[in-house]
Amino acid sequence: MKRNLKCLILAALLTPFAAQAQMPQDAIYMNKRQICVAGMYGYSSWNQYWENTLKRENFNIGTHTTQSFMLMPVIGITKRVNVILSLPYVWTSTSAGNLMGQRGIQDASAWLKVKAVQVGGFSVNAVVGGSIPLGSYVPSFLPMSIGLQCRTFTGRLLLNYKEPKTGLYLTAHGSYGWRSNMRIDQDAYQANERVYNTNEVQVPNTYDAAVRLGVQRKGWQTEFWAERSACLNGDNIRRNDMPFPTNNMQATSVGWYAKVQPHNIGVNARVGYVVDGLNVGQSTSYMLGLLYQINFKK
Amino acid sequence: MKKYSKLLTISCVLVGLSAAVISCDKSITEPLRVGYTPTSVDDKAGTWKTYVLTAPTDVTVATPTAVTSSEYLAEVADLKSKSASLTQEQQEAVVYWGAGAVYRWNEIARELAARYNVPPASTPDGKYPVPDAANPLADPRFPFANPPYTARAFAYLSVAQYDALVAAWNFKYKFKRSAPSKADASVRVALPSSALPSYPSEDAVVAAASYTVLKAMFPGEVPFLDAKLAEHRNSRLWAGMNVMSDLNAGGNLGSQVAAKVMARARADGMSAANNQTLTAAMITDAKARGLSEVWVSQETPARPPMLPNYGAVMNWNFDAATKVKLRPGPPPALGSAEFTTALNELKAINKNQTREQARIANYWADGAGTYTPPGHWMRTAANAAHDAKYSEVRMARTLALVATALMDAGVCCWDTKMFYYYPRPQQFGVKTSVGLPNFPSYTSGHSTFSAAAAVVLASIFPDQADDFWKKAQEASDSRVYGMIHYRFDCTAGLACGKNIGAYAVERGKADGSGL
Repeated sequence: MKRNLKCLILAALLTPFAAQAQMPQDAIYMNKRQICVAGMYGYSSWNQYWENTLKRENFNIGTHTTQSFMLMPVIGITKRVNVILSLPYVWTSTSAGNLMGQRGIQDASAWLKVKAVQVGGFSVNAVVGGSIPLGSYVPSFLPMSIGLQCRTFTGRLLLNYKEPKTGLYLTAHGSYGWRSNMRIDQDAYQANERVYNTNEVQVPNTYDAAVRLGVQRKGWQTEFWAERSACLNGDNIRRNDMPFPTNNMQATSVGWYAKVQPHNIGVNARVGYVVDGLNVGQSTSYMLGLLYQINFKK
Repeated sequence: MKKYSKLLTISCVLVGLSAAVISCDKSITEPLRVGYTPTSVDDKAGTWKTYVLTAPTDVTVATPTAVTSSEYLAEVADLKSKSASLTQEQQEAVVYWGAGAVYRWNEIARELAARYNVPPASTPDGKYPVPDAANPLADPRFPFANPPYTARAFAYLSVAQYDALVAAWNFKYKFKRSAPSKADASVRVALPSSALPSYPSEDAVVAAASYTVLKAMFPGEVPFLDAKLAEHRNSRLWAGMNVMSDLNAGGNLGSQVAAKVMARARADGMSAANNQTLTAAMITDAKARGLSEVWVSQETPARPPMLPNYGAVMNWNFDAATKVKLRPGPPPALGSAEFTTALNELKAINKNQTREQARIANYWADGAGTYTPPGHWMRTAANAAHDAKYSEVRMARTLALVATALMDAGVCCWDTKMFYYYPRPQQFGVKTSVGLPNFPSYTSGHSTFSAAAAVVLASIFPDQADDFWKKAQEASDSRVYGMIHYRFDCTAGLACGKNIGAYAVERGKADGSGL
């Protein structure tokens, strides 16, 4: 954890040059015939979680850690239309107890980001995305499972204002996420205070909302963000029981993000911290990425 | 223009893809069970051998009024008004309970077992408070419906249902009062009717007996059970199946039988099952027999073993001396070649568990928050009896044979576990993909439960014997794949469970049913 922090500080100190496009949650676009490939390592851990509203520790878990490596190409179709793909490999572990960690390829996702309106420094962006489970990981062994084995579809509206001279920007977005039902290995399970005699599980849909305030200049970018992501319904973790995919998971997080990409090669980094939640771990997360931009000749 | 056509193409592809990804209907479909006309009404069931009752005459049922009496005609008139037109909710209740009284109350017991199957949390001072029956909804809630507790709850539930139905059949054929729709053809019935006499009502018998047992087993659920009891009884009126005196006589009979069955429960030794003071001697004895490392709780803080004296609880199908004879021989010595081979098998799975091994481990895990392995087998038994269109009394007989075998298996297995006090694989660095139960390893509870249930079911449904046995074998293997049992825990458990089940089979052969 400490070493990751050092990496982040190092990344933040790198001298700024010429940055380009990124994530599904910003208003930055790649130009036509540009591809930026990001390889990102993520590390997220918690030693306390909310069992329903009760914040507690668990001596039989200790610190729970999720790590991931994600490959994420961003493709500039035009300078107002970008496609973002991602494929993560995820692995989990605990510092105490005897629960076996899980590992594997998780869900592939694809996003289409379109700058629908641009008036001066103000833009309206529409983002749609979906994901499909690729690995055959076990989804019901929470908190060790690496994913929920459901397909998702997300619609997002993203507003951005960037002051042209200073590069100061403010971004706000809201999304609705649909999630498909999932299948578990068991043929009965308890949820919503009853037993379902089937292997089909209804996973709640989600929403999220976020604001970001930052500066983007030639070659670098830094921002602070706050995000609320939550299920629209679902049940709570029962007293001293394990979590389940039907849980109404909610989290409010704050964090910092930065990117430095002087030329073709760049780095980005992200830190996040869950300040409040329901049925989730109070995680601190770090991400560090290496970016490589390819420009195809016209 | 070219730019926009490209944009359009991409949008179209994406919309198409999304439509393929999303199917908006998220409602869950569960297997539907509906009522049937039983293949046989089992008119001689009043003579079948009961478990707790010595004879049906242990209980009393008032002589019913004649179908020509003014009282009865008034009851029929009342029934007609109640069954004439039903709300959507009433119709659903009729269909739900119409699937079978024993079937539904067994399902309700599974529901409650799952609801209460959570181990107590530790307190800040590192202790585990014991659930309190007098204060069932406080934290931790009473009961902790773990597998031994749940096996016992199913046994008493099924025995009460069975004994009460045998008594009911006796009185049905003694009084031979026909169904209201037979007495008056203008009574509108919503369910299949048979030639079975309707006084006392078998549904009211099962409802009252089940209610009494479940209220004792799950004392925090009285309002839930009250609602189920009332709905079950009302559904018989809404369906036009029983007049009020059928229901009252049945309710009275069911309560009387259940009271006798619960008197046995109070004296079966369960109240001493959690006697933790006995474990010190158990450990000393196991060490004296040569065990070099005893079982130790792998939880933090260390949790006392689950019901260490459950092995002393009274059995159903054999006595305490037989139980000791049924106990499997000792497990391999720690560090022996046989032990090392078994441990290495688990280490190999720990390193590279296949998805199929994980699936089997998960399917049979039946851990915290579920209706436990006994619940899993009760579901299998109830579904098989339902598929075979069994009468209520034969359904109850089937479930009583399975449930008593399951409890016998639990008692024997716990006796074995605490006798040998053998350490879990987790004491030698193996992880688990299903969660680790908090009691000694040898023998496997899943294997013992599953073999006992499979043997009984194979005897009742011989055409499905292979399938039941395959399931038992898979349930047994699942504990190796989940890495919480050595292979020898499972093979010994299966063999012992088979022997235990044989006693229930023997009882079934001799209960006068001719089945």
